[in-house]
Amino acid sequence: MESANTLRQGGECKGGVLAYLERLEAQMNRSSRKSEELTVHTKESSQRTKIHELRRQRDKLRAEVKRRQARIKASLDNEDPNRTVELSEQEDLARQWGNVKDILQAYRFTGLSGKLTSRGVCVCISTAFEGNLLDSYFVDLVMEKPLRIHHHSIPVFIPLERIATEYLQTDIQRFLFSLCEYLNAYSGRKYQTDQLETDFSAFLTGPLQRNALCNLLSFTYKVDQGHQTFSFSATLLYEDLTAALPTGVTVMCPGAETSSARWEEHRASHEMLFRTKPLHQVFASFSKQVEILDLSLVS
Amino acid sequence: MDPETRELRALEAEVAALQRECSMLSKPWEKTSGARKSFQKFPQSDSEGWKSWRDLKSQLAHLKSEVSFLSKLTGINIRNYSKTEDITNNEVTEKDTKKILQRHRLSGNCSMVTFQLEFQVLEIETKEKSSSVITDLSIIMEPTEYSELSEFASRAEEKRDLLMFFRSLHFFVEWYEYRKNTFKHFKEKYPDSVHLSEGTCSHCMEIHSARQPGFELVIVWRIQIDEEGKVFPKLDLLTKVPERALELDKNRVIETAPLSFRRLLGVLGIEAALDSLIKLLCVEND
Repeated sequence: MESANTLRQGGECKGGVLAYLERLEAQMNRSSRKSEELTVHTKESSQRTKIHELRRQRDKLRAEVKRRQARIKASLDNEDPNRTVELSEQEDLARQWGNVKDILQAYRFTGLSGKLTSRGVCVCISTAFEGNLLDSYFVDLVMEKPLRIHHHSIPVFIPLERIATEYLQTDIQRFLFSLCEYLNAYSGRKYQTDQLETDFSAFLTGPLQRNALCNLLSFTYKVDQGHQTFSFSATLLYEDLTAALPTGVTVMCPGAETSSARWEEHRASHEMLFRTKPLHQVFASFSKQVEILDLSLVS
Repeated sequence: MDPETRELRALEAEVAALQRECSMLSKPWEKTSGARKSFQKFPQSDSEGWKSWRDLKSQLAHLKSEVSFLSKLTGINIRNYSKTEDITNNEVTEKDTKKILQRHRLSGNCSMVTFQLEFQVLEIETKEKSSSVITDLSIIMEPTEYSELSEFASRAEEKRDLLMFFRSLHFFVEWYEYRKNTFKHFKEKYPDSVHLSEGTCSHCMEIHSARQPGFELVIVWRIQIDEEGKVFPKLDLLTKVPERALELDKNRVIETAPLSFRRLLGVLGIEAALDSLIKLLCVEND
């Protein structure tokens, strides 16, 4: 979009489109060269100090490791001289074993981890929302032709069948990542809704209506602003099941005071907030506003 | 990667490995029966050293194959991981609330992008429920030339969304490889007309025509990551045209070219749109 506009404007400029582009290019090159030089320089000097520090640490650790190994060897020599040779190999293998086991555990932080089974593989999909680690789900795959799902813990309202039909046979990676997207979005929506129900129930003036997929929410709430209480009803629709933010938001003012400009201002800003920020964070910002007002009343 | 950065990375990895080794060498060897104790955390531990060694070897092979399988499945290759628990925070505070703070270090690569992560996870356990929250996240990625990636990394750090980071990284790399292969394909198909100023890894493809010097089409293909971590391509067309031609262009074809290109993309898809554009400039008869 931007390039189309700039080109149109450029046509009217002196020197024409080409000259305009060339000027832009030259400007870009000059500023990028400058910032490159600066970042390279600061990066280099901080790197050098870090390298010195690490070298020192490494030497210290090497000495400590040698010391401990010697101490162990000495204590074992007193026990049984034949065992020490075997044990150092075992020690090395044990270390490797621990390392690989750790790495396997670490995969759950990527969202996808799993274990090999006799039939194939059991993949575990972890979900999270903005730093909060949430539920995990599993899919047990049987490695046959055709590939099939032995069993799984995916909730029924996630379109597993559709995703499997599209990708499972041709591209397992795509199948899993697509499932990952749906599950993470669902987890995120569920988390936001749960937070609203538990932490911000004071704002709700009626029951929160939600469906299992947490993609259609309807509630009524009130916000205090000074002496006035504004009440609204909101409906949030999340048509994109791979997103944790709504695609459609409607905020309405129930009751007769719909004509006031202040109501309209609040209504419009709330609509904007629900569309751009996670649900519970919108209500958190409402409570902050109330706090600020309370403080101002006191002082 | 320049030699200094390489040394830095190597030193960091070595220090981490030495720290692990140090802790391994200190824990089990408290008493004289230390040899048996060190195998306590491994399955099928046996007081007979020989038997458990063989089991250990086969277990190790099995685990290694699991890691390599996961690496292929996710496209993410984790090379190093270490975790430390902050014992000082392991207190039982008010009303049966248990808090454990863990520090994690993770490094590896996803195709041509290498990453190094450090994050903290706070586990809170009360009688009703338990929760895990990532309380701090720091991401170092290389190469640093992709501004979209570094912007995305800082956003992920802010949101502490580690899983989204990996998911989006996977999709970014997928798009990156697709762009590289597409540009390579066109360079091979039309070697004289297509010019890639930074090789196949560049984000621009220039189309020249020997028959019409002075006319140039530049396709700019960026891979963007939005606020929610969704990765999508953004293609634009820039035209370089001699002034005389602009004057003659009564129908303002050149001015509207970028917009027409967008529409073309929507109809034909990326490959077919680029192909037709190249054919237009180069293969056409005068």
